[in-house]
Amino acid sequence: MVDHRLLFEKAGRARFISHLDLMRTFQRAFFRAGIPIKHTEGFHPHAFISIALPLSLGYSSQCEILEFGLQAPLAGEEVVRRLNGALPEGVRVLDCYEGGRPIKQLAFLDYRVDLDYPEQSAAEQARQALEELLGRESLVVRKKTKKAKCGYTEVDVIPRIRSWSLEREGARLTLNTVLAAQNPGLNPELIVEALRAERPELAPELSWCHRREALDEAGQPFR
Amino acid sequence: MDRQLEQVLHNVQKPARYTGGEYNAVVKDRETVDFRFAFCFPDTYEIGMSNLGLRILYGVLNKMEGVWCERVFAPWGDMEDELRRTGLPLYGLESGDPIRDFDVVGFSLGYEMAYTGVLDMLDLAGLPVRAADRDEHHPLVIAGGSCAYNPEPLAAFVDVFSIGEGEEALPELVECCRKGKAEGWSRKELLRRLAQIPGMYVPSLYTVTYREDGTLASFTPEEGAPAVITKRIVGNMDQAYFPVDTIIPSTEIVHDRVMLELFRGCIRGCRFCQAGYVYRPVRSRSKELLARQGKDACRSSGYQEMTLSSLSTSDYPPLVELCDDLLDYCVPNHVSLSLPSLRADNFSMSLMQRLQTGRKSGLTFAPEAGTQRLRDAINKDVTEEDLLTSCRTAFTGGWSSVKLYFMLGLPTETDEDVLGIADLARKVYFTWRECAPDPKRGVRITVSTSCFVPKSHTPFQWEAQNTMEEYQRKVNLLRDALKRDKSITYNWHDPETSYLEAVLARGDRRLADVIEAAWRDGAKLDAWSEYFSFERWMKAFRRCGLDPSFYVHRVREKDELLPWDMITAGVRREFLWREREQCYRALITPNCRRQCTGCGANRLNGGVCDG
Repeated sequence: MVDHRLLFEKAGRARFISHLDLMRTFQRAFFRAGIPIKHTEGFHPHAFISIALPLSLGYSSQCEILEFGLQAPLAGEEVVRRLNGALPEGVRVLDCYEGGRPIKQLAFLDYRVDLDYPEQSAAEQARQALEELLGRESLVVRKKTKKAKCGYTEVDVIPRIRSWSLEREGARLTLNTVLAAQNPGLNPELIVEALRAERPELAPELSWCHRREALDEAGQPFR
Repeated sequence: MDRQLEQVLHNVQKPARYTGGEYNAVVKDRETVDFRFAFCFPDTYEIGMSNLGLRILYGVLNKMEGVWCERVFAPWGDMEDELRRTGLPLYGLESGDPIRDFDVVGFSLGYEMAYTGVLDMLDLAGLPVRAADRDEHHPLVIAGGSCAYNPEPLAAFVDVFSIGEGEEALPELVECCRKGKAEGWSRKELLRRLAQIPGMYVPSLYTVTYREDGTLASFTPEEGAPAVITKRIVGNMDQAYFPVDTIIPSTEIVHDRVMLELFRGCIRGCRFCQAGYVYRPVRSRSKELLARQGKDACRSSGYQEMTLSSLSTSDYPPLVELCDDLLDYCVPNHVSLSLPSLRADNFSMSLMQRLQTGRKSGLTFAPEAGTQRLRDAINKDVTEEDLLTSCRTAFTGGWSSVKLYFMLGLPTETDEDVLGIADLARKVYFTWRECAPDPKRGVRITVSTSCFVPKSHTPFQWEAQNTMEEYQRKVNLLRDALKRDKSITYNWHDPETSYLEAVLARGDRRLADVIEAAWRDGAKLDAWSEYFSFERWMKAFRRCGLDPSFYVHRVREKDELLPWDMITAGVRREFLWREREQCYRALITPNCRRQCTGCGANRLNGGVCDG
């Protein structure tokens, strides 16, 4: 029933729309756009859509993937045009296409993480510290969880990092990194958390995470 | 988006409440607007965005050339802490600009427990809370909504109250403010002129004196302000603005669906109900227009749920035709249609059954009182037979959950009436036993009681409220009476909130000090149990030397000057008094369609009333 995909971006104010709310927003946007999409079967049919790999609240992305099914044939460009007139500020559909590879082949996510410091020297120190941390054999971080009794679990982030590089521009430090997407994936915030834990004095004032691309096992764009 | 705000949003729950940017939110170019209006709702986003009045007035104001109306809601505690910690001032959701720089800051008042929210929002905006401490360099602070029918407790904080429906009054106010801005009027001059617009109450233009016993001695207008302020109404509902293209929140709100407004006013005249009196006369929308608006609103919003709204939906004469028309659209488009506020009569039940597709959710009835005598006394025109017949139809049709709403402490109530609630609930249970198609599934009957709060502009505006001890005694009485009925659940409201609500609902200007003291001591979002503290309010009363019981537990005299007597909703005071006397004789007043009883409200509409 899900034979179509959307590639969309989530930016600006829309970053604060949660995953569940975004699903509802899309269901309504399809209806507003006059694009009948397939419904679930059963007693309470509802428009069926699914978003691959939910984005954390507050992150931006230019490579989100949404699966849905069209009730009647409609050209991809037409879906994009109509939906973009029906979505809230910050959510923009980039492409609509048929088919697509199985989601389980989505192996990596390419992130940009910006860390802001009050001054250049702090950003430089943080760069050196992160270089040291990410160069280790193992880097264990406490991750908050509701399931564990103690309220956290311990995660080694290193095996889940495929590549990384650091650059500094003025008081801003940027981490470009490709991380495991699923089974298990790694949230880039955990790398920032590692920095906070190991070097509390180098905790950034602000941090922004942005998803740049979804990649397959070979590092090619996933669609 | 402001950098600091962005950081703050990472630290709070449900940040989508504070971002704006929803579909259909109105964003105008700052350069092309000359008048900024902050529409403030002193409760959370989820509550405020569910308010149809807000959506109507937002649309009306933004249709005005050069006017930009934005929304502002009360932040939840975590967001308030962040705003105060960072010093970020309260801002309009559309632009992110601080509202202290706007021309008008307007509050919608629907509930007395939101009063401290008004002060808190003014303070978060960086504005002095008292009108006397503001001048032409500050925004004009206005307020409207159903609580404005007794504006006096907030008189010290609000510059102008807009009484009644705002669709026509607010644009007039805006135009007057614009003129004042262009001509450089002082605040005093602006207020003097605004007081000349029908429906506007400017509290600073009135002097109040008190007798030794604390009651009002006189109420004197100054500078040409009117002695009586008559509420404004929209005469023709078919010409009134309806928000077809309305904001679709990006996060879930309480009433997340298309709301169609069938009519204003109510033909029933339940004596406790303020809405039933202050929204008179009855004015309906035509069924053709409603059907069109409903379908257009679904297409425009993407909502797949629609509800018909009014004070008593089954009193809309062409209801069946309207529903048929809407269903022709709803069914193929997977839109569900719901009808709240139905009366417990045969007609409504057959309609319910036709609409009900799929899951049978619970049914709710509000008999309000447990005995026929008391139901007659409050003019609640529902008989036990009506209720049980409705329940029989419902149970036979497969419903197995019924909620029954009652009020405790109604005028003339005795213990027999309280115990009558238990009897009625049991009769509902036996009805289920008689006719349930599948008794093994069991039944859930929920009895809920609230504490009666006497309101202004009703026949009970002179009444005393029961003491909190008396309420508790009645709750215990009913609880014990229902103890052995396993299928009946009993829930009750705590009397503390109702007591405070009653103080504020019929209070006078002197309460300003108490409200401010409670707020300075931390009161905000008082409608939420997470924040409400009864003790904090009692402390504020003691500190200000005011006895709250004076406003609540005293029966007022027929000729007593009441704090809200300068405001009329069109219904004559003598009519209200006559209705009160009818109550003490347990006599029904026929509904407006059976016979016009001459309440006086039709004078507001050139003698026209759809009742």
